[in-house]
Amino acid sequence: MIRDFIFFFSEALISIRRSGLMIAISIATISVSLVIFGIFLLISANISNLSNFFSAKLEVRVYLKDQVAQTDIPQLKAQFESMPHVRKVEFIDRDVAWDDFKKNFPTIKLNSILSNNPLPHAFRLTVSETEQIPSLVTSIRTLKTVDHVSEMGEYANRIATFSKYTRIAGIILVSLLTMATLLIIVNTIRLTVIARQDEISIMQLVGATVSFIRWPFIIEGLIIGIIGAVIAITFLSFGYSLLVVKFQQSVPFVPMLFDQMALNLIYLTVFALGTILGIFGAYLSVSKTVQHY
Amino acid sequence: MIRIKRLRKVYPNGFVALEDVDLHITRNEFVYLVGQSGAGKSTLLNMLYRADVPTSGEIYIDNISLSGLAPKQVPYLRRSIGVIFQDYKLLPKRTVYENVAFALRVMHFSRSRIRRQVTQVLELVGLQQKMNHYPSELSGGEQQRICIARAIVNNPPVLLADEPTGSLDPDTSWEIMQLLSKINARQTTVVVATHNKAIVDDIRKRVVALEHGRIVRDEQLGLYHA
Ligand SMILES: Nc1ncnc2c1ncn2[C@@H]1O[C@H](COP(=O)(O)OP(=O)(O)O)[C@@H](O)[C@H]1O
Ligand SMILES: [Mg+2]
Repeated sequence: MIRDFIFFFSEALISIRRSGLMIAISIATISVSLVIFGIFLLISANISNLSNFFSAKLEVRVYLKDQVAQTDIPQLKAQFESMPHVRKVEFIDRDVAWDDFKKNFPTIKLNSILSNNPLPHAFRLTVSETEQIPSLVTSIRTLKTVDHVSEMGEYANRIATFSKYTRIAGIILVSLLTMATLLIIVNTIRLTVIARQDEISIMQLVGATVSFIRWPFIIEGLIIGIIGAVIAITFLSFGYSLLVVKFQQSVPFVPMLFDQMALNLIYLTVFALGTILGIFGAYLSVSKTVQHY
Repeated sequence: MIRIKRLRKVYPNGFVALEDVDLHITRNEFVYLVGQSGAGKSTLLNMLYRADVPTSGEIYIDNISLSGLAPKQVPYLRRSIGVIFQDYKLLPKRTVYENVAFALRVMHFSRSRIRRQVTQVLELVGLQQKMNHYPSELSGGEQQRICIARAIVNNPPVLLADEPTGSLDPDTSWEIMQLLSKINARQTTVVVATHNKAIVDDIRKRVVALEHGRIVRDEQLGLYHA
């Protein structure tokens, strides 16, 4: 088996050397397709990350009107605490909130834009179940002391809808690209098969099975797929880390995905698609090109 | 060894290349298949190693019916039949040794066994000195010897030769035929399609004559013409 493999591998290399330019074009095409595929995966992973970020917060923020006095706070707190499905109520003093905000985002020079604190007093309510949030919000909005209520779930829902559409668009785009790439690989390998037609007919004459004839080409496809995938992954990982740095500098409050495990999974998927395309393309083109017994 | 029954071959263009061919070749026999160009010799040989399929009739090789053979089994049939051609069909970018070893690689032989058998067969055909040459560096007769070596390197029971001397001078042709006789003497059934009258009349064997796709004569130790 090993000696067959060495034979197949050297046959594949001979073949690659003979049709270098076509192979290079094929590798470039795979790389481009895989980069686009990878970008799509990164975007959708970031969107779902964002959506999790918001929906993970089972909380409602209640912003009070400016005229509410500090002395009314304990009574309001008790009122919120008595509401159904509210687990925890926390008062956020406007001055404390302002200091926190400035500390969290030191890159934004807030003092130069705003001279005094723009934040109102607020309450953070932790809710036991997401489904209860809408009815709770409606009843809180009727209170005279309340200016407005914001709930993160709303953002989460909007993002989820957005993410659904990007996913559909992405799947369509990626399927089209995959088909196009597969076609290009099939044609590349087909040319190398035709270039070796003499050898193949002699192999068939002396009793080679179709799978024996196919192996060198499968390896050729695999090599094309792997090189294409490696180029694409290099490009994606450099590009993405550059983008993360830029993003964190300009829009620091948008959480980006930089969990290395999740990113590696994406790169692994890109790699898998590249190799599968290479192998499958080679398989198809040999089956179509080599004359059967 | 080879049994052909009521064989008929009609090409897709409607041309009838073989008609009502019955032939029995026993184990280790040596047969000349003679006839003018276009008589149907190549057509008959092609069907013996399943490069083509008959329109009707039956072929048995070692009692195995070729029409019952699944495409998957064809490679294994080919391994028991060596074939040589007028145009040698060698790989120009590979040495003599590699050209012959190629056949054994396809059959998954081990490296040491490949080396042993290729060396042996190159000795048999008289090319042991030239095994690292490329085919283009050798004469026509020597190239035909490579082709023969490749065909018999795994000791197949049957050897088919289609005009093996077609592009060789008389002396070289005679040497090649002597080599085929030698191979026949090593327990191999040999069928040679040829229109080389001098050889057929000199190295006397069984002669089967084809004319317009029909067998018109079948003679032990025959001559090219009746
Ligand atoms: N693929 C084909 N299609 C149509 N006719 C063919 C084909 N191959 C051979 N023939 C015809 O069949 C006849 C026998 O051919 P062939 O077996 O090659 O003869 P031989 O080898 O005896 O010279 C010839 O007349 C040839 O023109
Ligand atoms: Mg012929």
